[in-house]
Amino acid sequence: MIDLQGYGPRLLEGAMVTLELALLSLVLAVVLGLLTASAKLSRNRAIHAIGTLYTTLIRGVPDLVLMMLLFYGGQIGINMLTDQLYDAFDIDIFINVDAFIAGVITIGLIFGAYMGETFRGAFQSVEEGQMEAARAYGMSPWLAFRRVRFPLMMRHALPGIGNNWMVLLKTTALVSIIGLTDMVRVAAEATKATHEPFLFMLPVAGIYLLIASLSEWGFAKLSKRYSTGFGEASEWTN
Amino acid sequence: MATTPIPLEARDIKKRFGSHEVLKGLSLEAHKGDVITLIGASGSGKSTFLRCMNLLEQPDEGELIVHNEPIHFRPTKHGREPADWKQVERLRAKLSMVFQNFNLWSHMTLLENVIEAPVHVLKKPRKQAIDEARALLDRVGLLERADYYPTQMSGGQQQRGAIARALAMDPEVMLFDEPTSALDPELVGDVLKVMRGLADEGRTMILVTHEIAFARDVSSQVIYLHQGVIEESGTPAEVLDNPRSERLRQFLAPKH
Amino acid sequence: MDQLNAWFTQLLAGNAIFTANTLGFYWNGLVTTVQLVFLCLLLGIVLAVPLAIGRGSKRPWIKWPIYAYTYVFRGTPLLIQLYLVYYGVVFFNGIQDTIFWEVFKDAFYPALIAFTLNTAAYTTEIFRGAIKNTAKGEIEAARAYGMSKGLMMRRIILPSAFRRALPAYGNEVIFMLHASAVASVVTIMDLTGAAYYVYARFYAPFPAFIFVALIYLCLTFSIMFVFRQMEKRLLAHLRPRGA
Repeated sequence: MIDLQGYGPRLLEGAMVTLELALLSLVLAVVLGLLTASAKLSRNRAIHAIGTLYTTLIRGVPDLVLMMLLFYGGQIGINMLTDQLYDAFDIDIFINVDAFIAGVITIGLIFGAYMGETFRGAFQSVEEGQMEAARAYGMSPWLAFRRVRFPLMMRHALPGIGNNWMVLLKTTALVSIIGLTDMVRVAAEATKATHEPFLFMLPVAGIYLLIASLSEWGFAKLSKRYSTGFGEASEWTN
Repeated sequence: MATTPIPLEARDIKKRFGSHEVLKGLSLEAHKGDVITLIGASGSGKSTFLRCMNLLEQPDEGELIVHNEPIHFRPTKHGREPADWKQVERLRAKLSMVFQNFNLWSHMTLLENVIEAPVHVLKKPRKQAIDEARALLDRVGLLERADYYPTQMSGGQQQRGAIARALAMDPEVMLFDEPTSALDPELVGDVLKVMRGLADEGRTMILVTHEIAFARDVSSQVIYLHQGVIEESGTPAEVLDNPRSERLRQFLAPKH
Repeated sequence: MDQLNAWFTQLLAGNAIFTANTLGFYWNGLVTTVQLVFLCLLLGIVLAVPLAIGRGSKRPWIKWPIYAYTYVFRGTPLLIQLYLVYYGVVFFNGIQDTIFWEVFKDAFYPALIAFTLNTAAYTTEIFRGAIKNTAKGEIEAARAYGMSKGLMMRRIILPSAFRRALPAYGNEVIFMLHASAVASVVTIMDLTGAAYYVYARFYAPFPAFIFVALIYLCLTFSIMFVFRQMEKRLLAHLRPRGA
């Protein structure tokens, strides 16, 4: 057995942080992605422009820079806001930006843009005839969306969601730089203390590979389910 | 011996796909100026036979002799394979093939397609290859398309371009694998016209085709294949006008 | 123009952050980032071409190690790869006493190695996919015209595969530009490193990071523009004439 020199439990905790962070960010990214896709498909030009600006800006700037901007800037921004509240209304509150929440928001915000592109393409690939048929059978718009458009869209979106998830998972490593104690940070601290990079970094890399492999397997199963009635399951792309 | 070499000879060619024997011992001799047409229903093995002649398919048994030079084989675990790929490459360059789907190289212009093998396989000077290619493109009526990419041309143009590419090798024998089958009917005529011109000037050609009327016009020999066996062989008058077997009669009967 | 100049001078005079000194930091950071990214991409391609060809080999002892390499490097964060190379070198017993130390005490080279290995893995898979998608008929034509395997690879398969790989490779270049920001965590003063320095020095996150974000945006758009021009030229054969 490898001797992790007492860092074992902390590494495990860090792995949990990584996983929670990744999953919560994924939820936020999917929600933002659906909103963005709707915005970009909207006929309202202002809403369309906002959607385009969001995806262009996010995809043009490094994740780490956005993360630093939101994390370091977020605290100052909130402080300025609370100061103004104090000046104007004499309300005295102090909000401390939690590194974990900042991480979730940043990663969610970044991948919301990528998810937006995925969902937009997927929505556009649903044939209008399918929705017409739903309307013809008296489905309400919401029912038609839920029962017809959404499942059909998911079939096209799944490979893209899978790819985004894999990238997102690796991006979580960046939160260690802004001070969140995920498994990468634990490994980096342990490395600096013990001068044994391989002892800590390789297991962490192994955990990433494990999560990635499990996800790949899971998405393959999911995509099989969503492609019932479409012949062969579309090939996994990465 | 002062006999002129025979451009292409195939002796007793056999080919299996798994347990299914598709060619059951076929022979053929293409002398200079011969136009040999292979006809038969789909699955009769005519395309496979043609593809065995330049080793795009490996014949399991039998001999291939190109320009009096037999191709060497060596035994392997599963049968045999060419002993000397350099020899195969050298002999393939003497046998230009024209494909059903043209198979022009999509990232090259038409002119680049035509000069590619002469420059890089035959090591011709580029300048000379270009001059010759332009003359060939002129001949097939595509000189003004020299700088077009394959996807920018119609199927008929691509196939005439592919014939120019084959001619640029100055081949001993030209192999045509259903050259008009992938074309819209109105484009077939132009391609056949070019091929007739080649037959008239004495090119040695072996072709697989469904165009019976064309075969009757240009062939020196017609071979009718059925399930990997040569059922009838002879001049167009013998095979096409006086078929002996009921099967060939039915094959030649106008379809309704 | 004079007006613009005057406006700009005034703008600069009015703030304490964007002095000639800090702008110099950003400039040096830009140079470092561009050097690092350009070099790793170049080395990455040099590695990826033979690896992509080997990845398609029929021999398992060539194919599988390459697959394992790309799987591991694409499946783990670049940050970990960077830490492994950087600390692996720095904490290597006795390296301080060897001549290698002259090269490796500068974090630039460990970072370059990590980035190169990373981008080579992605590029290998991009090229691999493009090579696999070569039209079968075009390969058959090359064989029928007497081309040897090497000639066919050089003249037919790779040139058309590179063209097809261009859009995906363009994304990889942008990805690598953005990913290179992690270089700042191993003491390299790249663009992000410069921005962090300015932030820490003046405690001014918005100007420091928004300014650097704009530089990255410009770089991203320039890369996109260059690739679009290249695609226009090199993918002409996929478009109808005159379009």
